[in-house]
Amino acid sequence: MSSAIEEILWAEKYRPRSLKDMVNQEEIVKRLMKFVEEKNMPHLLFAGPPGTGKTTAALALSYDLYGEEWRKYVLELNASDERGIGVIRTKVKEFSRSKLPGHVPFKIVLLDEADNMTADAQQALRRLMEMYADNTRFILIANYPSKIIEPIQSRCAVFRFTPLRKEDVIARLKWICEQEKCTYDEEALEVIYEIGGGDLRRAINILQAAAALGHITISTVYKVVGLAHPREVREIIKLALNGKFVEARERLRNLMVNYGLSGTDVLKQMHREIFSADLPLPEEMRVIIADYIGEIQFRIVEGADDEIQLSALLARLALLGRRYNIKL
Amino acid sequence: MSSSPRRVPWVVKYRPKRIAEVVNQDEAKSKFVSWLKSWPNVKKKAALLYGPPGCGKTSLVEAAANEFGYDVLEMNASDFRRASDIERIAMRASRASTLFGKRGRIILLDEVDGISGREDVGGLEAVLRLVRNTNNPVVMTANDPWDPALRPLRGNAELIEFKRLSKRDVVRVLRRICEAENIICEDDALNYIAEKSEGDLRSAINDLEALAIGFRRVTLDVAKTLLRPRDREHNPFETLRNMFSAKYCWQAKISLSQSQLDYEQAMLWIHENLPNQYTDVEDLWRAYEALSRADVYLGRIVRSGDWDLLAYAVDLMTAGVAMAAQNNPRDKYRWTKYSFPQKLLLMARTRETRAVRDDLASIIASHLHVSTTTAKNDVIPLLKIIFTLNPKYAAKLALGLKLSEKMIEFLAGPNKTLVMRYLEELKRKQSEVARKAEEHYVPRKESGENAEEGSKVKHRATRKKGGGLLSYIGKSKQ
Repeated sequence: MSSAIEEILWAEKYRPRSLKDMVNQEEIVKRLMKFVEEKNMPHLLFAGPPGTGKTTAALALSYDLYGEEWRKYVLELNASDERGIGVIRTKVKEFSRSKLPGHVPFKIVLLDEADNMTADAQQALRRLMEMYADNTRFILIANYPSKIIEPIQSRCAVFRFTPLRKEDVIARLKWICEQEKCTYDEEALEVIYEIGGGDLRRAINILQAAAALGHITISTVYKVVGLAHPREVREIIKLALNGKFVEARERLRNLMVNYGLSGTDVLKQMHREIFSADLPLPEEMRVIIADYIGEIQFRIVEGADDEIQLSALLARLALLGRRYNIKL
Repeated sequence: MSSSPRRVPWVVKYRPKRIAEVVNQDEAKSKFVSWLKSWPNVKKKAALLYGPPGCGKTSLVEAAANEFGYDVLEMNASDFRRASDIERIAMRASRASTLFGKRGRIILLDEVDGISGREDVGGLEAVLRLVRNTNNPVVMTANDPWDPALRPLRGNAELIEFKRLSKRDVVRVLRRICEAENIICEDDALNYIAEKSEGDLRSAINDLEALAIGFRRVTLDVAKTLLRPRDREHNPFETLRNMFSAKYCWQAKISLSQSQLDYEQAMLWIHENLPNQYTDVEDLWRAYEALSRADVYLGRIVRSGDWDLLAYAVDLMTAGVAMAAQNNPRDKYRWTKYSFPQKLLLMARTRETRAVRDDLASIIASHLHVSTTTAKNDVIPLLKIIFTLNPKYAAKLALGLKLSEKMIEFLAGPNKTLVMRYLEELKRKQSEVARKAEEHYVPRKESGENAEEGSKVKHRATRKKGGGLLSYIGKSKQ
């Protein structure tokens, strides 16, 4: 590995800074370069799965527009970290007052994870977009464009980012390995791709952790992934189905407090688990559980307590486990 | 004595003079006596006697003081509010000898649960100071030792539990007093008084005295007409017992209205102890169904501000839970050891760690332009692996990401010292390199990677902004 004194995360270190350095999403990049050339652009909506270059494209676009000083002219917000639309409004308002760059007639508000905003908040956002349209452009980033309300979509040029191709991900990983002078087995990189899907950021994160263990092999990759994401949620489901409610609840609590997972995080993982083929459950039972998970998620969104609601879910699982005579 | 001109209340008159006279509480007695005898060679210089009212906490302290020749300096809740008062008492107690040349003084802080954490911060701190630095045994009493405000005191005191007295214990004492006072009292009446007192001997003696004055003869009828059921707040354990064992909905509901717990605390206590009480999974499910619905109502109250909804939340969390035992109805009455809500303990214990984790997540989030949730879920687990398995490389990351010592500890666990050592080395190297670079300063070139390590580090800031990294990427595309 590199002999530099300091190190940062590779996902940051090897993030392309300029549009011309981007190796994927060629069509999108071409059109974005046009915006830079003309120093004009509409509001943008970047949609697509995680790790496909949405944020990178937005940052690269900013860099190409404003140069080294780009941070002055870009307000970066993450919808899931901001406390409500009120906070966003205040920040945008303040930002819009700051002065314009000489050569570009607008500044950029970059709003990541915009699909995590409620419909009401999005309505408010829409008004913000209109209010400051003369000197500000919004770039909204979302995993699911369908969760962005119609009026916002219609005000934006929508760009759909597609998952990266396998060969592109692997080529990038190989290139990083060369820069970092780390050695690897070819198959190990394929495994990383499979684990990450087309999510390049995730793949690079895994690569860095695996490289920290030495020569990168399939087994170091699996080791890293296994340690990072113990199948805790699955274990909790199994314990509950087997009627071991107290243990299940104990581990749930631990997961939430020590790993900082929210109730919704746990529910989403549970939802994925109950449909996975290697959890042998009667098919109709999966549907019953899914319905109940949905109900619990709704309650939590409504303002109910994570732990009590999830415990109710576990009690329900224990009951279903007995009714269907499940032994896992 | 009964003919003495100044009437002393019976509770004072019949207060135990010797330890043996304190009713029951053998465990508490032996624990307390051995603590007091070993003082000051004890782990904790203060003792916290806790238990329901009227079970003998203060009596034991006074009896022990009497038997072993201590003075008792007493303060109660209202004195705790002023730090100066507490300090004055402590000063008085620490003066070397007393007027009577006795062996020492016990400082008795009665009913410390009267200290409220928020309003009496100064008082609480003064008590803590006293407890830590005292030259005299400090004894505190409390009904509810689990009051969050008492947490710092709990940690600094020997905890001694007093049990609620049984009806038989109470009856025995009442009968002795009747004999001493020459009062004729029907057994049924004594039983009735004892039952109404719910183990509170002090209130039973007061009741007996009230009934006996002027009558000399106490019958069940008199007792029944004159004694109103006392409004006493139940501690969490009693509340749970009453709630689970309720046969009718109204009993379950009343268990909460008579409790020290407010509905939010009660929710946590019920949640914690449900699976201990109910053994059948279907019963458990029914109970959780009710409890989680109650929780939904509480959420709606917060959202809508409509407190009328509280009634339904209470119905579900008490009656709903109590009526859930349908498969194994006997579970309702099963003796269960109830425990303190673990969630609160866990949250308190991990508060600092969670704060460190959140700070770390926001550093990562800003570097990677992701949400803190993504940082927590995807990146921190991988960093943890690096920090536990490759401390040398971890130190480089710690330097590059400017992680604090606490964050390094969070990520590396037992490996922390190792990572810190490497980090110190790196920092030394870095400043050495910077010094050298200054000595032979050469105008910066664009190609970062060919330069020697030193200038690479020196120009890191610029490299980050463009130059070096761009040339990396440019090269790859050739």
